[in-house]
This record gives sequence, C-alpha cells and structure tokens, in this order.
Amino acid sequence: MVNGIVATDLKEALIVRAQGNYTPYGGGTDLMIKSDRNARYLFLHKVPEMKRIVEDDRYIRIGSSCTFTEVLQNPRIPQLLKEAVSQIAAPAIRNLGTIGGNIGNGSAKADSALIFFVSDSLLRLASVRGERVLPIKDFYLGRKKLALSEDELIVEVLMPKKGLDNYYYKKIGARDALAISRVSFAALLEISEGIIRNCATAFGAVTEVVFRRPDFDALLIGKTLEEAKHQKDSYLAAYEKALVPIQGRISAEYRKVVCMNLLKDFLEKNGI
Amino acid sequence: MRDTGISFILNGEKVTYEGKANDRLLDVLREHFHLTGVKCGCKEGECGSCSVLLDGQLANSCMVAMGRVQDSEVTTIEGYSKTERFKVLDRAYAAVSAVQCGYCIPGMVLASECILSANPHPTEEEIRIGISGNLCRCTGYNAIVKAIKIASEEGNGLW
Amino acid sequence: MDISKSVKKKDHEPKMNGSAMYVGDYPTDGVLFGKLLHSTRAKAKLIDIQVPALPAGYFVIDKNDVPGVNRVHIVKDDTPVFAEGTVEYIGDPILMVAGPDQQEVDRILNGIQVTYEDLTPVLRIEDADTVFFDYTIEKGNVQKGFREADKVYEETFRTGYQEQAYLEPQGVVGFVHDNRVTVHGSMQCPYYIHGAVAKAMGFEASQVQIVQDVTGGAFGGKEDYPSIIACQVAVASYKAGKPVRLIFERREDMEVTSKRHPSLCTYRVAIKDGKVTTMDIDVKFNGGAYTTLSAVVLQRGIICASGVYDIDNLHIRGKAVKTNTVPCGAYRGFGAPQTFFAVEMMMNHIAQDLGKEPLAFKLAHMVKQGDSTSTSGKYHFPVPLPAMVEELDKISGYREKRALYAKQTGRYRRGIGFSAIFHGAGFTGSGERDLIKAVVKLHKYVDGKVEILASNTDMGQGLKTTFSKIVANELNVPLDRIVITNPDTDRVPDSGPTVASRSLMVVGELLRRATINLRSHWKDNEDQVVEEHFKEPDFVIPFSLDTFKGDAYPTYAWSVDAIEVEVDTLTGVSKILGSYGVFDVGTPIDENIVVGQMEGGFLQGIGYASIEEMNTDGSGRIRNNSFTDYAIPTSMDVPHLVAKLHVEKYPDGPYGAKGAGELPLVGAAPAYVGALEQALHSPLNHAPFTTEDTMNVLMKEKK
Repeated sequence: MVNGIVATDLKEALIVRAQGNYTPYGGGTDLMIKSDRNARYLFLHKVPEMKRIVEDDRYIRIGSSCTFTEVLQNPRIPQLLKEAVSQIAAPAIRNLGTIGGNIGNGSAKADSALIFFVSDSLLRLASVRGERVLPIKDFYLGRKKLALSEDELIVEVLMPKKGLDNYYYKKIGARDALAISRVSFAALLEISEGIIRNCATAFGAVTEVVFRRPDFDALLIGKTLEEAKHQKDSYLAAYEKALVPIQGRISAEYRKVVCMNLLKDFLEKNGI
Repeated sequence: MRDTGISFILNGEKVTYEGKANDRLLDVLREHFHLTGVKCGCKEGECGSCSVLLDGQLANSCMVAMGRVQDSEVTTIEGYSKTERFKVLDRAYAAVSAVQCGYCIPGMVLASECILSANPHPTEEEIRIGISGNLCRCTGYNAIVKAIKIASEEGNGLW
Repeated sequence: MDISKSVKKKDHEPKMNGSAMYVGDYPTDGVLFGKLLHSTRAKAKLIDIQVPALPAGYFVIDKNDVPGVNRVHIVKDDTPVFAEGTVEYIGDPILMVAGPDQQEVDRILNGIQVTYEDLTPVLRIEDADTVFFDYTIEKGNVQKGFREADKVYEETFRTGYQEQAYLEPQGVVGFVHDNRVTVHGSMQCPYYIHGAVAKAMGFEASQVQIVQDVTGGAFGGKEDYPSIIACQVAVASYKAGKPVRLIFERREDMEVTSKRHPSLCTYRVAIKDGKVTTMDIDVKFNGGAYTTLSAVVLQRGIICASGVYDIDNLHIRGKAVKTNTVPCGAYRGFGAPQTFFAVEMMMNHIAQDLGKEPLAFKLAHMVKQGDSTSTSGKYHFPVPLPAMVEELDKISGYREKRALYAKQTGRYRRGIGFSAIFHGAGFTGSGERDLIKAVVKLHKYVDGKVEILASNTDMGQGLKTTFSKIVANELNVPLDRIVITNPDTDRVPDSGPTVASRSLMVVGELLRRATINLRSHWKDNEDQVVEEHFKEPDFVIPFSLDTFKGDAYPTYAWSVDAIEVEVDTLTGVSKILGSYGVFDVGTPIDENIVVGQMEGGFLQGIGYASIEEMNTDGSGRIRNNSFTDYAIPTSMDVPHLVAKLHVEKYPDGPYGAKGAGELPLVGAAPAYVGALEQALHSPLNHAPFTTEDTMNVLMKEKK
C-alpha cells in the first residue's frame, strides 16, 4: 500500500520504525484528528507481540495494541483498570483506541496512564537495537514529552498483579460520556495484619505529567491505622504544598479543591 | 516494488482501494464508493454520525485510516439495511417516530446492532451506554432508547 | 379520525436506510469546492490582501464580484456578502476560494496573506457603545408602585451563548445557469434566501430559485445564516461559471455562525402586602457584529420579561447592543429563555426572602384567562397552569421532595426546582398579517393525489407528516395520497418561514381551510389548484411596535418544569435525578412527533442550563469550537426525562393545535438552576451554572 505498512510481527515493525519516516498507528483515534496529508502510517494492530494479554508470576502483561474494548473483555485485567477504561470516550472509540496510543500521546489526561502510574507499572520498549524496561514514571518527561527514542515502540505494559483489590478511582469530565478528564484520581491501599503494606496515590489531568509522589505515600507505609491517623495532617499538608494544578479551561483552584477532597475521601473511606 | 491496493470487504463484497493508506475511511466511503449514508458531523470522533461496523464492531470511520481496513470487513448503513435485523430496527424506530432530522440515524442504527448483538435483551442502562458515542440533538434520546428496547423484544431470535 | 394518533413518518425510510440526500451528499462532478477566508481579527481595517498565483480553474471571489448589492438582506441590510473596508468579528467572511480540488483550494487559502490594521474591538455587553435596537414596554404606574412598596428587590442575571449544534453542518450549493441562479441546501426559510440572493445578484425574483434539501437539524441556526452563504455561492458561481459548493467544517461552523444572544438583565421588583406589584426591568442582549435578527429576538425577550405573572406596573427597557463578536440570531426560544430565566429566578429569590415556597408564591401571581398581558393585550383563552402544576407534582413528587430537601447536609445534597413559562406562537404582533401574509396552495392531480405547496421546511420536526395528516384527515383519504416534497421556490408560494413555532398553528390551519375548500369544489379526474391566504383571527387586539401595546400573540402555549438534582459536594458535579415537564401545545397533530419535540427541546434547555458553556477569549474568538470543547448532552447525561402533554385546545389552530417547537426548551434553565439553589442553599443568578460555579459556591459556604 501507499503511505502505509501493516506490520505482521514485532521484528518487521521495528525495522520500519527505525527507518524514521513512519508514524506508529495504534487505534488512530488521536492521530486522525489532525489530518496529515503526507503522513505514512505504521499499522500495529496485527503485531502478535503487541496484541497479547498474558500473566506471569509478577505481572499482567498488556500488549500496547490491545484496544480498550479488548482490555475490558479480558478476565485477567484488574478491576481498577477496567473501571478507568470503561469511562474513556464512548464504545466506538474504545473499539479502536489502544493502550499504547493512550500512553504514547504523552498526556496527563490519559485515563489508563493514571492507573499505570498508581500501580507503578513498567513499560517494555523495543527497537532494532534491543529492549529495555522502565517504570512508567520515568517514561514521561513533561507535557507530551516522552523518553521514547525515535526508533522505539511501546510493546507492552507490565502491571503488577498484587495489591490492586482495594482501590479508589474517580474521573471528572464535562459530562457522563465522550468526556476528557478534567480531574482524575486513583489510589491503592493494601492492609494486612493491621499494617499498611502499600499506599499509592496519583492525580491525572491536573498537571503536565501524572502527579505521583511515592515519598508522600511512604509516610503511611508500614504504619498501623492509628499511626497513620497521626500522619494524616503531614500527609495532606505535603500534597497541599506540592500539588500545583495548571490553569486551563478549568481553573487551577477548582482542580486543587477537588483533588484534596478526593484524597481526603480516600483516606476517610479506609478509616484514616 | 509494485504497490498493490488496499483490499477489504465492503458491505459483503470484495473491493480494492487504490489510494493512500493514510486516507480517511469516511472520505473514501463517501467520495470513492459513493456511500453517502455515512455522514460527517465533526471529523473528530466526537459525534458518531460516521459510524460503520469494522469487523462487526462499532467504529467512527472518520478516525480510521485506510491502511487499517486491509483484510477487514466494513459494513455501512447501505449494507446493513439489507438485513433481516435491520427490518426489526426499522419497524421499531418507526413505531416510536425516533427519526427526526435523520442525521444521527445511520450511526444510531449501527450502534443499535452492536448493542443487541452483544446482548439481545439489554437493560436501559446498557442501551444508553451503547449509544453514548452517538450524539443526537433532536430527540432527547428517549425515543431511540425505546426503539432499541422494542427491537430487543420483537427480535424473534435474530440476535 | 383521531388526528393525534401517531403514524409512520413520511420521511422515515430514506433517513433510516441512509438514502436521504443532504446537501453534502450530492455528486460533486463538475462542481467547484468553495471555502471561505474568515477574518482572524475582531475589529480591523483591511489594508491589503495578497493572493498567490491561481492555477487555471481556481477563483477568488470577493466584494468586487458581487453583481448586485454587497449586502445580505436579513431584516435590515448591514451584513456584507463579503467584507468591505473593515472586519467586525472573528469569522467575518472576507473572500472565497473555489476550485475543482478541495486540497488545492485549502492550499491556496492557506497561502493568502491578509494585512490587518487592528482597531479596538468591543467584546462585552457592558462595554458596548452602539445600540442596535431599543424598545420600551410600559404598563400601569411604575413610580407609584415603587413609592407604595413594602420592599424593593434588585438583582442582575446573566445567560451565556448557546450553540444550536445541529448534527449536519451548514451547507449550500449555488449554480448560475441560463440567466438564473439556483441555490439548494440545508435551510429553514427558502423565501428568506430567495430575497437575499435576488438582492445580492441584482436579479429579478423570477430569476432566483431556492430549493431546500433534507436538513439535518436547524433549531433556528439555519434561519438567517444560510442567506449569507447562499449569496456567497451564487456570486461565486456567477464568476466561475460553474456550480459552487460550500459545506462548513464543524469547527468553522461553531466559530462563525449565529448563536443564542448572551443576556444581562437587571430586575427591580416592588412588593406590597406580600405580592409583587411592580417590575422595572432592564434587558440587554449581545447582538454581535451585525443586526441580523436581534430586533425580533429582543422584542420577544422583553415581551416575556414579566413571565407568567399578572403584574400591574411594568417598565421594560430592552436593548440589543453591538459587540465585535459573532452576530447572534435565532435559537429555539428566541429571546424567551434569557428573560424567563431571569424572572423565574427573581421570583424564587423574593419568595425565599419572604419565607415562602417558590411554587406557592408563583401560583399566587399566575395570570388567568381575561388578564392583561405585559403589552396590555389579553389572555383570551384558558390558562391551564394550575392544573398542569398538579400534573407535574404527580409525576415528579415536587412538593414532597421540595420539603424533604430543605437544608440538606452531607456529601450528596439534593434539590428540586420549578419553573412556569409560556410561548407565544407565530410572528410577534401583526407580523403574520402585515409582513408574512402566508399563502398556501393545494394541487389536486387527475389521479386524485393532492400535493401540498407551502414553503415551510421539515428539519426533523415532522412537518411533512403533520401537514399531510391535516390534509388527509379533511379529505378522509390515506396518508399516501398526499404528496409533499422539500420546498422549491419555483413551485411553492410563500407561506412564510419555518420559525417562531408558527408552521403547524398558522400554516397548518391554512392548509386545513384550503383542504375544506378543495373538498367542497372537488371534481374527479380533474386537475385543480386551490389557494388560501392568511386571515388574522377576529379576536386579536391589534399590536403596535411603536407603543408595544396590543396582543403580541394570539394565544400561548404553556409549560411547567421540575428538575431534581443531586450535587456531590466533593467534586461540584451535579447529577440530574429527574427532569419532568408538562407541556400544553394544544391538540397534538401526532402524539409521537409532538412528544419527541418536547423531549428534544427539554434536553436542549437542560444543556443550556448546565454543561453547554461557550465563551470568547480575550481576542473575541469563540473558544469552544468543537464537540470536544462544547459539551452537548449524550444519552448518559439525563436518563430520566419525562414529558407529558396537557391539552388546552386553541380554536383557531388546526384541530386545536398551538405552536409547539420552542416551548419545551424555555423552562429548563430556571428549573435546573432553581434545583441547584436548593441543594446549595444559595440564590444563583446565571446560566449555565457549571460544575466549577457549583464548587465556588460550596467553597464560599465553608468560609
């Protein structure tokens, strides 16, 4: 075909990517908004290594060409990710849009990226030069700036299997469907034998990159619920100081108030 | 190297498109194949007027590049309206006068098909989710939801 | 025959199977693609325009190519076909590029360099220094009313833009041929376009043909704007010698075409012995850059400003002001949503202050049959509001919920709001008699089929079906014996525009009388034509636009709405638990069609109240120029919307029908914001009232 190649395996996809004049095409739902007459697309929907959803002993591994609908229909996918993905846009977009595209857009509004941040997921990137795995938090360098080399592709997301059951998720958009996030929040709390084993919180859509401060969450880790209550003020104060939302169509004040409200609600719902 | 066209199945027929892989499916359907039942409301995937079935799934054709449809099946309202299932939806939509200006309707009909093939007896909530990507400015959605419900009741095992 | 019994709509099939031809669906062989260059400045002098070299077959069309008058006739004649010395808003059309290849047209357009000399634009109502229209309504003795008052309230209310957001963007195709011009496209008013094109082309009326195509929604947005683009494609075709097609992109449509007038209304209200006696109202509408329809929108707005209430002393001063923003025009409701919002909220706030329940307070002031209107006309017919309130209470549980939701606390707070409104159908005052003078024809063919010849357009509201039902009913024949096609000015008389909720009530009645006439003169196997002319009902008290006195409308449609919300105080998001409306539009000519209109209009009004936020940025450009940024309701947003009909027949409407199209939108905003008031324990004074606005109120509460 002219101006396009449908890769049939990862090796082929990486060779074409290395050529440098093809734009990776996941679902097309972001790419096709700006109609570039001269674009050449590298279609990735037939690359088997990017279409798998498998499980190993530590991770659920989600291929980056998996569509949102495929993610929703797969029994291996944790409920937290399903909840976020089910609120993306509308069915037709979910049928086409991919996890790789959602991350590759580089936006803090990406609903699945928020979940990967809060769960400390990893990304497997590949190029003709080899592979590397890095935490998603190291992948985002700034607004729409990714630590992705020109010859690399996102192959899969490695989402830790454990500790995802007790979660909190809220997305606020302009309306109940077909809405881009204005504020989003995801949190995990893992308690066993009275001790907080893990606490993870992250905010989407309010800053240039998903806002994740494991150092704040660390204030609560290893504590009992009682001890955590004593830490609550410092914890909230740390967020209050550090979280500076961007002013956009929606005011920074609104975003800040809602973020802090949701954070407090998450703590209170868990008895802190 | 000889460039072959993009071959796919369009409304049940094998066709080949000799244009570029980055051409928009919506434009190709309307201008090249003269299937003007596929409407353009926004070209940004926000309204659903351009809905088609891509390998049986609802898709906004304005968001699909031609290379993506290689070896796939595309069904537009023109093809779908020849089916038995369409007749059930046609009667149901007519019974409640769900068609007003009509611009959203081809998309709504295909969305209806997707709802019922996923679940022949959907709840109202499932119906509303199923058409949540198809904007309608005329009806307030009630009649369309009712029509899909009627179709599910009178489907006669077609779904 | 029960005229209300629903039938299968005459245009159901082609729209259902995708074969209906909208203007963008016609083959483009031999047709040139046109694209407009819009001003990027809100106010500037045009100093120079540099056009790149044009390939053969490509044209640039501007003011110099207009063979007639470079003005689009829309009530007045200040809108240019193409800009002359200055541009007055971002979007003002400067020129058109036309040619055989769309991409090449885009390339040429992008290569055009315009040199502007920026002038200082006026962007806000408050800063406007040019008044387009200025009207005053007076009744009783306002000074006396304030002198004798127990208390005087004063408050200001604001409403924003609303975009019609028809799913089919604007579009027309123009073709000059054989010394005539034909324009077809998406439109509401073929004869408006006819007059405008004749003037711009310098043609006689007989040289102009305007044909409506299947129209994918309009809601008023295609009342005046198509006249502008029709003139442009006519001129372009004249120059190029080929048909020219102009179909707007969605972003273009949202940025530059007409919208609902934003408003700023200040109310001073006097009460005595617990009742409102006097209202002094100042109404300002933001007309945008050219006059277009502002005169008429303002007229309706001020007529509605005292609401459904019997107020002895009134002084209403209305102004439509010029700003360097998109010219505002018609949108379902046409001035009424703005002032009804203000008066309903004002009554809420006064009730609250007096310790009274808004519904009870409003009921105590509602007009009755025989009362005088705001313009000293008369409510000639029964006013069914009290009965409708009871019906509304039954379906919504308003009274019980209102009491239950008083002073809610906790994370989720509920509220329920109420509104009562009217809509006067038809042209204001004597417009039907003196301006429109509607004429309809029926053509009976030899085979007995009867064709309806009228200029009213079906844009989804089902006119093809309802008109046909009326004629079929009087002839006692099946519906398929009646022929009705999209209006073509070569074939149909001018029965007036499809606006002001007039088509069924006024033109439908003309058709009914024409059919009775035909029936009484029916001759089998003969070709016959009958004609019927509008006659103003006898009871109407003549209306004068100079004094604003008399019957502004012959009769009124009525509605009462209740909307129930639940606010999440953590996020400011409000969920609509239920939207209930009871609507009196007289006899429904087709129940499904009329209920469909009520439901659709109601949801548009809810959007206007809540999520449809549209603003200009600092330079005067519309920021919300896509479906991504201008949110209209989806199927998920208001799952529980109930519309019920209450029938109060109007003797001069066909089978008792009244105007229906606009009524359902008008009462939604005050009902919704009224619900938020209860949930937030705070008087509110603007629409849309958004999630952010809600959070601002909640934050103030905390302090």
